[in-house]
Amino acid sequence: MAIPTTPSARLASEDFGPVTPPKPVYSQWLVKTIVGWSVFVGFLVALSWVFLALTRLFIWIGTLIPLDWGISQALGTIVSLVLVLVMVTATLLTMADRKWSALMQDRVGPNRARLSIIPFLRDKPLKGIPHILADVLKMVFKEDFIPQGAMADRFLFNLAPLLAFAPAFMLFAIVPVSPELTFWGARIQLQVARVDWGILYVFALASIAVLGTALAGWTSHNKLALLGGLRASAQLVSYEVTLGLTLVGALIVFGTLRLDTMAQLQGMTEAGLRAAASFANRAGDYLVRDESLLFGWLPAWGALFQPVGMILFLVAGQAEVKRAPFDTPEGDSEIIGYFLEYSGLKSGMFYIAEYAETVVISGIVTAIFLGAYHIPWLEPSIVRTTEGWLGASGIAWLAVFQVFAFIVKMLAIIWVLFVVRWAFPRFRYDQIMRLGWKMMLPVSLVNVALTGAILLWAGRDGLAWMGIIEWIAIWFFVAFSARAPQAAEAAGHSSTVAAH
Amino acid sequence: MDKARDAIPVPETDLSIGQRLYLREAIRGMEVLAKHFWRNLFGYRDPAPEILERKGPGVNLVTTINYPEERKPYPPGYRGMHRLVPRIDGRPRCVACYMCATACPAQCIYIEAGEYEDQAIEKYPVRFEIDELRCIVCGFCVEACPKDAIRMDTGTHAPAVLSRPLAVFDKEALLKGPAVEYPSDALTYGLPLRRPEPKEPEGPGVTSKGEVLR
Repeated sequence: MAIPTTPSARLASEDFGPVTPPKPVYSQWLVKTIVGWSVFVGFLVALSWVFLALTRLFIWIGTLIPLDWGISQALGTIVSLVLVLVMVTATLLTMADRKWSALMQDRVGPNRARLSIIPFLRDKPLKGIPHILADVLKMVFKEDFIPQGAMADRFLFNLAPLLAFAPAFMLFAIVPVSPELTFWGARIQLQVARVDWGILYVFALASIAVLGTALAGWTSHNKLALLGGLRASAQLVSYEVTLGLTLVGALIVFGTLRLDTMAQLQGMTEAGLRAAASFANRAGDYLVRDESLLFGWLPAWGALFQPVGMILFLVAGQAEVKRAPFDTPEGDSEIIGYFLEYSGLKSGMFYIAEYAETVVISGIVTAIFLGAYHIPWLEPSIVRTTEGWLGASGIAWLAVFQVFAFIVKMLAIIWVLFVVRWAFPRFRYDQIMRLGWKMMLPVSLVNVALTGAILLWAGRDGLAWMGIIEWIAIWFFVAFSARAPQAAEAAGHSSTVAAH
Repeated sequence: MDKARDAIPVPETDLSIGQRLYLREAIRGMEVLAKHFWRNLFGYRDPAPEILERKGPGVNLVTTINYPEERKPYPPGYRGMHRLVPRIDGRPRCVACYMCATACPAQCIYIEAGEYEDQAIEKYPVRFEIDELRCIVCGFCVEACPKDAIRMDTGTHAPAVLSRPLAVFDKEALLKGPAVEYPSDALTYGLPLRRPEPKEPEGPGVTSKGEVLR
């Protein structure tokens, strides 16, 4: 809105009295909400198809080039998963973090950045998305400041943000986002590296991230940054132990280090789905039994076998990401953090790396514990229903929905991690160490020992029973642990005041 | 020995075992956050300016008023921007008596008087300017006005300006809002000119200094 220059024009342009916006009609709002969310879900499904199609496109290009070296699928998945899925999700999370925090605290969140140069987007907050653009522009145009003391280690100073940034994205290489399937006549799978040492790769790369933070703290030539770097390295090293040991429980359950095999074992195989498709016209549903379901109805997700493992992995993952309540390395209100002396895009790389790590941790949790891309119970019927839609096979359509399911599960885990951020006060440094070494490490060791023993004693079904019992125990613990009545809380407050 | 043991201060706590175990309370905290999140995400935003009036099924809990687009009305007695009250014929009620300018402690009112040639009301303001940057919003001008010609009932505050001259509001800018009329007004305006005939003084006049005029 242009500002009128003369007082008369200024006053004349305003209404006599306060502006009260018209109240929107409830039904209109309801329709808008439903349509908006449907469009969003449709967009995610379309995006899932784009990921598959992009990978297929790269394979096709690979067939045209004589010297392919067999990396065309890897390149396609790198583009679709790492560059699009992780990068875009991480970028959007910078905004989602602020916006979701606002929703949890009954605020509207950032909405003042607007794309007023585009006529039909004038004065539209667009859910705060333009703020991302504003942030990026701000970071790009900031001075790239290097402190005097860091000049001696200038190379290391510049290397640190790269070391924090790169591993976060490289970690996603072993996360399987879709099953292996035939898509337009080529075998593809949305996973960059299908390797035998999948989980070991997670451990190895997670350790590299420590170097980035430690180097940043050390080369900044700043006491507070050094303190942050020390805290970060101590915290990351401590929690990597738990992170590794919880995954050991998972690899005992699945008997493999490969994440794609782990994902496959949590749902129906392709052969079973093909059988479902071929039986479609001949016989009833009962001919195709989902063999992956435990006891005939329970999806065999990692979370079922390893509840303690999953919760510990989430907690350790949150500590690895250095987000609240484990954000002493940053400690905005006290030491600002190991990236204190970084400015411009280098600071932005630390910032983005944090969110990319969140995405990756959620992706790994989804792949190992939440059934990866599998949609429980519905897969055979989806294959049968979609068989032949637009000339594509039911398996290919299912894969699109499976990628969609993976993204939704991943977003759900990210959301939980963000809720955790506001539910817990920040731990003190000694509390973090105590939690890591004296509580989580023993529990994860016991979990590994128990899982191994039960697998030897009672096999896979025994593990399932152990998981069910653990879930029930956790639920009892949460639901029936004593809870102070409201009146006692008020009384407690006054007595503490008196005591002071 | 017992005394020594008692001397060690044991941290007192009112927390029950369940609260000290932390997990239960942590999950309760997350429950609260999740409840607020979903209610605000899917909630219907009622833009009623009074927050307490925002109720009904599905109304979200966000209490923010998006200021430039939405405004909370000021209370009825609020002293806001001045306005020059118009007569029913659109001219200002002001008779340029300078009472407001005299009463103004901040001296923010500037008036230049002019004369009507054709009306019983003799004076009107040729210029009437208020410097809103000097104004201390005390309302003395409204109190002082004998003709109810200046009011502060616009319900807005002085707008932000980009340079100081823009904060000086002239007659055209101030003259707005509903017209006001009193029954006695009909006796004074709209009537034909009544100009008394000049008469010869009957006796000698006396000035204030005691001089006799012939």
